[in-house]
Amino acid sequence: MVSNIWEAQLDITPLAHKPVELTLDQCIKCNICVTACPVTAVTDLFPGPKYVGPQAGRFRHQAQPSPDHSVDYCNGCRVCNMVCPTGVKIAEINGRARAHIVQSGQVPLRRKLRNNLVARPELMGKVGQPLAPIANVLLHSGFGRFFAKLLLDIAPNAPLPRFSGERFSRWARKRPDAAHSDRKVVYFHGCSTEYFEARVGKAAVQVLEANGFEVIVPPQNCCGLPLLSNGEFAAAQAYHESNIHHLVDYIKQGYVIVGTSTSCTLTLKEEAPEMLAYHTPDARLLTANTFDIHEFLVHLLDAGELKTDSLKPIPLSLAYHPPCQYRAHRLGRPSMEMMTLIPELTIIESQAACCGVGGTYGYKAEKYDITMAVGKSLFDFVREVNGPIAVCDSETCRWNIAAATGVPFVHPIELLAAAYGYEPEGPLQEVIRRLRDCQSPNLPVSQ
Amino acid sequence: MTNDVLVIGAGLAGLATAWQASLHGKGVRVIAKGWGATHWHAGCVDVLGYWPVESETPVTGPATTLPDLLTANPQHPYALVGLARLEAALDGLKQLCTEAGYPLVGSLAKNWRLPTAVGAARPTCLAPATMTAGDLDGDAPMLLVGFKQLPDFYANVAADNLVQQGIPARHVTLDLPALAGRNFTTAVNLARFMQQADFRAAVAQAVKLHLGEAARVGFPAVLGLEEATAVHQDLQAQLGHPIFEIPGLPPSVPGIRLHRILKSAIEKNGGRVYDGMEAVGFESEGGRVTAVHTETSGRPRQHRYEQVVLATGGILGGGIVTNHAGEVCEVVFNLPLHHPENRLEWFRRDFLDKQGHPIYRSGISVNENFQPVNGQQTGNGRVVYQNLYAAGNTLAGFEAIRERSFDGVALATGFVVGNLVGN
Repeated sequence: MVSNIWEAQLDITPLAHKPVELTLDQCIKCNICVTACPVTAVTDLFPGPKYVGPQAGRFRHQAQPSPDHSVDYCNGCRVCNMVCPTGVKIAEINGRARAHIVQSGQVPLRRKLRNNLVARPELMGKVGQPLAPIANVLLHSGFGRFFAKLLLDIAPNAPLPRFSGERFSRWARKRPDAAHSDRKVVYFHGCSTEYFEARVGKAAVQVLEANGFEVIVPPQNCCGLPLLSNGEFAAAQAYHESNIHHLVDYIKQGYVIVGTSTSCTLTLKEEAPEMLAYHTPDARLLTANTFDIHEFLVHLLDAGELKTDSLKPIPLSLAYHPPCQYRAHRLGRPSMEMMTLIPELTIIESQAACCGVGGTYGYKAEKYDITMAVGKSLFDFVREVNGPIAVCDSETCRWNIAAATGVPFVHPIELLAAAYGYEPEGPLQEVIRRLRDCQSPNLPVSQ
Repeated sequence: MTNDVLVIGAGLAGLATAWQASLHGKGVRVIAKGWGATHWHAGCVDVLGYWPVESETPVTGPATTLPDLLTANPQHPYALVGLARLEAALDGLKQLCTEAGYPLVGSLAKNWRLPTAVGAARPTCLAPATMTAGDLDGDAPMLLVGFKQLPDFYANVAADNLVQQGIPARHVTLDLPALAGRNFTTAVNLARFMQQADFRAAVAQAVKLHLGEAARVGFPAVLGLEEATAVHQDLQAQLGHPIFEIPGLPPSVPGIRLHRILKSAIEKNGGRVYDGMEAVGFESEGGRVTAVHTETSGRPRQHRYEQVVLATGGILGGGIVTNHAGEVCEVVFNLPLHHPENRLEWFRRDFLDKQGHPIYRSGISVNENFQPVNGQQTGNGRVVYQNLYAAGNTLAGFEAIRERSFDGVALATGFVVGNLVGN
């Protein structure tokens, strides 16, 4: 056991690792995954995780084209892995089957172009963010949406985010008031914080600094998850290798990696090595030393090292959706554990398996209706709770549920930063201001 | 919420433990590798179906037979539970399910004889009200309804077998327009369809054409997930005859209903139930379990709880594993096990041997407080960890498959252990 959680663990004993393909033989065909799959529940286009995963896996061969393309309707939520009683890595089997379809050239060109565009948020961010005012107008205009559908089959109502005025890493670099400390952590911001929601990264930095950490924001790339989900494994591996290159030296100096994007941290820890069968010593170091931010804070709390005495009350009742990619860390609900520390804050947790968006899945015209059907019960729940804002750890889920319900979403870390007394940005700012001015917080907030 | 009770396993035993402990106001966390036993079993509570195990005559009422069993096998989990607490556990579950709008019916006095998916008679103690009209002690002629797209239930097979046992039964297999175009569907999907009024109306309309002299109608167990009672009553009213469900291949819709009822009872009391969390190690100090480790995406997570309950199941549930070298191991704590020493003694010659296979009696020996003990026999030996308990089919000393005592032992031992750690 590590004495200090912020000290990277360099001496890692390899866990008994089961290769993805071998877990196929552990499937006992009990169909529990099919009962839990949120996609199978709403569409006949996806027969279910067991059928397209371990079952169809027996009929696939590297040298032959895929016999069935329904596996492409898996949205990668990983609920199947969570409920499997025998430890079959179903979602990874599906991801690899999709990659085989892509690699053997069985995807039509227009779709392949589209998939390669939506799977590159870093590229979109680099191009779009400097032109934020124009790009935002264009992307959110009926005109832009029409052509996106016409040319690339992107769903006209897809929950596109807005580019932020300033890249997060630029803000982090030029801060004059950055804290310095012997206790250092490396922050992995991911594409969403870098190009779309800098406020999430700022909140993370504030909470970490409030607890005496110096936050390092090194150069980094997209985690590669969107490419993995679209079967573009070679490009995903290039990103993963680049991230290892950027991050592993910090780990070797004794620093851990902390991230706010739950699917990015999951990819760094597990998805990239598992999908790509990429288990180098450096990749294993990254796995062992990457933390979801609330996972990290809960460790501090358990060690009695988290400042909790000065948290300010936030008298709100808010809906919270623990995203499937967060539950897939298999940590329980660390962000719930942190949010319950905030005085007077009531969090009502959703029971929905998935919001439906599946990262880039819901941006595709042929899958948009499935996304909406999967998310329906969650959308109803968020509307029922009827808070001025709602809470979710994953960016694409936030954008999807916000677009479907009209309720603006925040990351749990934003609530924590506000409780530490930092001035929030975005939807939370308006709500906190109303509370401060003794107005009713439960009025609609602009997104 | 305080870290009072950690339950490993979310089958009937683990959920019953957590439910009872949470009723005492304890902070409870259930961790499970995945869903299991509840999704595999019939959604009934079999207490005792056959005794002695080699008997071919089903037990008519567990209350009459159990005293003999307790005398003959004082190491049986039922002997540790005692008849009064077994009855309390059954009553507790009945009350919980009734409050959830999904009544379970039956008592220790008399076993139901319900038809299986192949038309055999299955003795069981508690059954949901959606199943009991199928009782084979009744002689009303039945019509069994299958669905062309549901390959998990063949109405003709079940009906033919029932007829051979002298029970008047006919069958029909529906090919409804709502399911046309599908090669197949699953029980859970069909259960969701059944919750739609227009689908039920189409089912009723199609079945009516085939009713003939049938006075009751049997369906595969797909009559709704969350709304089973309403679906059952509505379809019954439309057909004008009692209807009943026949549980079949997993995943079991009635089992999922029980799972959901227990899980929400635990969560209502502030407990948490986590799937995808496999226990892979532990720490101990001074004869106590101080932490249980679970596998995560990055590194093991520690769970530090005052009391720990092992409810990972036996060989079928994955709590006990065997290997080709003939070793038999408990997977989390490597507890001492009661099992056949020699691998050659694991199995009898015939697959369906009336005595059952000795390996399936493997399990943990516990004392009267369900604490695992060193020593081969239940009832004596030294406690392994002061704050560790075991419940369900991970326990030694009984033949769950032949006895048909799987659910009864899981429920009763979970109920008792939940109260032990709750007090």
